[in-house]
Amino acid sequence: MGKKKSEVYSVEVNGIKDIETTDEGDGKEKYRGLKNHLGYKKEHQKEELKKELDLDDHKLSTKELEDKYGTNIIQGLTSTKAAEILAQDGPNALSPPKETSEIIKFLKQMVGGFSILLWAGAVLCWIAYGIQFSKDKSASLDNVFLGVVLALVVIFTGIFAYYQEAKSTNIIASFSKMIPRQALVIRDGEKREIPAEQLVVGDIVEIKGGDQIPADIRILASHGCKVDNSSLTGESEPQSRSCDFTHENPLETKNIGFYSTTCLEGTATGMVINTGDRTIIGRIASLASGVGNEKTPIAIEIEHFVHIVAGVAVSIGVIFFIIAVSMKYPVLESVIFLIGIIVANVPEGLLAAVTVSLSLTAKRMAKKNCLVKNLEAVETLGSTSIICSDKTGTLTQNRMTVAHLWFDNQIYQADTSEDQNAQIFDQSSATWASLSKIVTLCNRAEFRPGQESVPIMKKIVVGDASETALLKFSEVIMGDVMERRKRNRKVAEIPFNSTNKFQLSIHETEDPDDKRFLLVMKGAPERILEKCSTIMIHGQEQPLDESTAAAFQTAYMELGGLGERVLGFCHLYLPEDEFPDTYPFDVETMNFPTSDLCFVGLLSLIDPPRSTVPDAVTKCRSAGIKVIMVTGDHPITAKAIARSVGIISANSETVEDIAKRLNVPVEQVNKREAKAAVVNGMELKEMSPEQLDEVLINHTEIVFARTSPQQKLIIVEGCQRQDAVVAVTGDGVNDSPALKKADIGIAMGIAGSDAAKNAADMVLLDDNFASIVTGVEEGRLIFDNLKKTIAFTLTKNIAELCPFLIFIIAGVPLPIGTITILFIDLGTDIIPSIALAYEKAESDIMNRKPRHKKKDRLVNQQLALYSYLHIGILQSLGAFLAYFTVYAEQGFKPARLIFLRSEWEDDNINDLEDSYGQEWTRYQRKYLEWIGYTAFFVAIMVQQIADLIIRKTRRNSIFQQGLFRNKVVWVGIVSQIIIALILSFGFGSIAALNFTTLRVQYWFVAVPYAIVIWLYDELRKLLIRRYPGSWWDKNMYY
Amino acid sequence: MVNEKEKTGGQVLEEWKEFVWNPRTHEFMGRTGTSWAFILLFYLVFYGFLTALFTLTMWVMLQTVSDHIPTYQDQLATPGLMIRPKTENLEVLVNLSDTKSWNQHVQILDKFLEPYNDSVQAQKNDVCRPGHYYEQPDNGVLNYPKRACQFNRTQLGDCSGLSDPTHYGYSTGQPCVFIKMNRVINFYAGANQSMNVTCAGKRNEDAKNLGDFTMFPANGNIDLMYFPYYGKKFHVNYTQPLVAVKFMNVTPNVEVNVECRINAVNIATNDERDKFAGRVAFKLRIIKKT
Repeated sequence: MGKKKSEVYSVEVNGIKDIETTDEGDGKEKYRGLKNHLGYKKEHQKEELKKELDLDDHKLSTKELEDKYGTNIIQGLTSTKAAEILAQDGPNALSPPKETSEIIKFLKQMVGGFSILLWAGAVLCWIAYGIQFSKDKSASLDNVFLGVVLALVVIFTGIFAYYQEAKSTNIIASFSKMIPRQALVIRDGEKREIPAEQLVVGDIVEIKGGDQIPADIRILASHGCKVDNSSLTGESEPQSRSCDFTHENPLETKNIGFYSTTCLEGTATGMVINTGDRTIIGRIASLASGVGNEKTPIAIEIEHFVHIVAGVAVSIGVIFFIIAVSMKYPVLESVIFLIGIIVANVPEGLLAAVTVSLSLTAKRMAKKNCLVKNLEAVETLGSTSIICSDKTGTLTQNRMTVAHLWFDNQIYQADTSEDQNAQIFDQSSATWASLSKIVTLCNRAEFRPGQESVPIMKKIVVGDASETALLKFSEVIMGDVMERRKRNRKVAEIPFNSTNKFQLSIHETEDPDDKRFLLVMKGAPERILEKCSTIMIHGQEQPLDESTAAAFQTAYMELGGLGERVLGFCHLYLPEDEFPDTYPFDVETMNFPTSDLCFVGLLSLIDPPRSTVPDAVTKCRSAGIKVIMVTGDHPITAKAIARSVGIISANSETVEDIAKRLNVPVEQVNKREAKAAVVNGMELKEMSPEQLDEVLINHTEIVFARTSPQQKLIIVEGCQRQDAVVAVTGDGVNDSPALKKADIGIAMGIAGSDAAKNAADMVLLDDNFASIVTGVEEGRLIFDNLKKTIAFTLTKNIAELCPFLIFIIAGVPLPIGTITILFIDLGTDIIPSIALAYEKAESDIMNRKPRHKKKDRLVNQQLALYSYLHIGILQSLGAFLAYFTVYAEQGFKPARLIFLRSEWEDDNINDLEDSYGQEWTRYQRKYLEWIGYTAFFVAIMVQQIADLIIRKTRRNSIFQQGLFRNKVVWVGIVSQIIIALILSFGFGSIAALNFTTLRVQYWFVAVPYAIVIWLYDELRKLLIRRYPGSWWDKNMYY
Repeated sequence: MVNEKEKTGGQVLEEWKEFVWNPRTHEFMGRTGTSWAFILLFYLVFYGFLTALFTLTMWVMLQTVSDHIPTYQDQLATPGLMIRPKTENLEVLVNLSDTKSWNQHVQILDKFLEPYNDSVQAQKNDVCRPGHYYEQPDNGVLNYPKRACQFNRTQLGDCSGLSDPTHYGYSTGQPCVFIKMNRVINFYAGANQSMNVTCAGKRNEDAKNLGDFTMFPANGNIDLMYFPYYGKKFHVNYTQPLVAVKFMNVTPNVEVNVECRINAVNIATNDERDKFAGRVAFKLRIIKKT
């Protein structure tokens, strides 16, 4: 075990070095920035580690330690001294990753996205007023008002987005804030419990099984102490700790326990030698913060979209500013036109709607056990093209389970599902009776008391993984194991140790007439077989001959080849005459036979795959996602599990498999023939980035075995070089750099360390790989639905923009006011655009390839053109029809309106003639203008209902999708109508809002256009479905 | 992502160039010639269809709108009042030493009053019975052309400007201002009772500065016979009744705020928002060198 550990350690340190050489080897321009950044950090990090290596605490004697830290191992520190050191060193806790300050986050919301444009609009408004005011002291306050409204819009949407972000961050904050850990410390000569945070260097602490080690400690005394260092090294084997100095290297010596690792069993006393960020774990965690956080794909998409819209807004604005100026409009008025155009073009409510949609999905995912820390990560999972998954716990159940049995010369399969309720192998054989007895008795594991009502599989067991597996196995099959053990009282026992490689115990039998003792033994199969001279077949002892030995070998190889840990079982009834019931068994001198035993059978154990995983892997595959297994386990085990969950599919071979099949050396095999590859951590270390790329490109099914958590980082970078969006799962502290580096880091909620959860974008609450797949599905759905939301929202921008253009060019009275536009963007349209987030998928989204992050854009040309130039134009026509209807019916026919603007807006003209010779005062005209605004607004609203309905699908007919399946859309439609009614009838008297009541028929003017919109879109979808790949499909499918 | 950020200006320019014209694929702005032809053809057809659609709907809508009478008069319940000469900011400025300053007003008025010349009126319009609405029902004939009542320029007395050396009083600092009421179709102003226009200074000091004034016709009366108005299409020679106010001795060199309103049973003059509903406010300023 010690050897294994040293290997792990060397891999780890080299792992850090590897990253550096990778970077140095990769002289490509694009990595320059990253490298410099990382390089510095790592240089620094390495220095720190070196310093750690120079530490000699593990070499010092107890006395020297006492002197060094000014403490006493019996009395501990004095409270005053401890307080002094605490003040000097700070609390014993990892400092959380540097958060951007709340103010900065808030300000970012204030200037991000469209906010800059709107701020510019607001400032222009105020400047315009300033100029007006300087000319005429009684200038109308309209512009100031509009500027204030624009500023408020920015501020409120900013606050809203900030609040949404903060809310989703809080979920995780509350999650990571665990119950404060207590540490048992000796101070002032007495034991006391204090929060682990208050520990200081020199404190004497006591730990026992189940505790987390509260700081880096030098072990002073130990009783069977074993620790789980997996979060540090990725190695899941328990490792013993003692006070002996066993290795020069502090990381390898047994007398140091590391912060945040768990003590599995036994007790120990130790002296704190490092606290907080100065612990080994603390340093590795700080490495993670050195890996830059990349922008999420959806953030890039939204940025892209904002650029498009802002580009359109600014260019149209500037073009029409120039047109207006050259049409001899005063510059000041042209500036106001510019503001109108910007406001019309910017979908003010959209980013808020996107945030809400994302957080709705995040909520839905949280219900499915995917806790999303960063809202944008919701979509990232959907565009994932490679998942680098851990094996233990994620793909597997993370508990040893009996997978196969071999007795009576036959291999039986055991049920390895999560609840193990169907053990179907033949239990009638007498051999099984004996075997089951050995399994039950030769086992030191016990259920923790007080769990009568807990299902067997969930009961907590004290004991190591294999024994736990055997205990549960026999409990499931034979019922009350503890009772059975009581009936077969144990008289002597030799626990398992690595030199013996067996475990033995001697029991009285439960048969009161049988006074013999039963000796039972289990251990490494070859060692057990050595000790046997007979073998039990169908309950009969038979001499162990060549053929049975060969059968044993075959079975052993076969089970071993499955990556399973095989145990042999044998027993012996001690003759009553030699061993009477008073016989003093002595385990030291072994005054009983340990040879010529009777071999009974083999059991093989494996950490079996979760039952949902194979299905999930298949889903990933059909969804075009490559699943790569990255594990610290042995290649054979890794490959076996990979095969059983389908990461390596049944009919694909590795290079080694082909070599074996063709009986040629590995070098002669054409690597491209092999679909699968199992790459060893040692091989990976030797590989250049180009070689790694080659592996990643040429093989579709890859398993990385025996890798250190640091090598994960290299693998992730390799995948990202292929332009893949990479998801990485991890739980250990050492995984955190890879989690950070990945496009989406997924930490394990149960097994994961805090550092991993901090670095991750998402936390899997049930540690289950299958949850990732549901996450992928949600992510893809939200991407599709965001497209719909954006298409819906962009459409009406044209209907809001055209009025200004016509107003400027044709000089008609303004069809819709800026404030009215804001009421569409932030009023009627908000709920419908969010409602689209509830839309169900149109087809099986898990049957298509992940989107290409550079080609499949959220907002593509088709979407923009279709929204702007097709539906948007139709909407404008419908709205203008409403506008002209109102004016014509009230007295101004279209012909009269052309170039009427300057007279219309002249405050001194109070007898403007209409088409019928009637004369209008300025206020009468203004009021008519507001009726026009309201009618235009209502027309857009009515057509947005049609727009909402057509946006439910992009390809299918609305009838295929079901008009009523998404109830929220109907809530949205009702909300549109109600908000419009309230604005029209409720605020009719508030002049500032420019809404008026409308004659009933004006509400329906645009209905024909709404129907045309719907028909046109159905036609579009029909042609797309009819003629896939056609010109129409290519240009009209967004 | 990292590399995107590190794009140099040159690269961006290259990419743009390639986007505008890609010599490899013969693409202009991302499309080949055929592709452009297709897309342009499509938009030609599509927008052709939209134009037709819009024209059709507009035509249908306009079919429902009558030529001679508006469908609704929602905003016109109260006719507004207006003055002539219509000046900038409704300020009647008369600088006695500067003929130019008021000559433009005079010209406007000359032109404005031309149709009121007695000869024109006699030729085109009827003599109506005063004190009664001049109703002209269609009597079964659709849109029968309507006759108008005479409003003779001579009715304006001293303000008629006829053989007037003082140019409506502008040359002597006693200007005439003409008040007219906005035309509203089928509006029976006064509800069968007589109505008149009155003027006053807005505030106390204005009243003081305003001095005396004379109104033509007497009392600022507007006769019912000029109502109702039947719209410009069928009531071609309609002559709007006027009230002229001649300000006799306005205090010179101060701005005087005058407000005239109509006193009629069915015309409200107290609308808070519409300052011209049934009333008109204007400024008078006579500049005289002392």
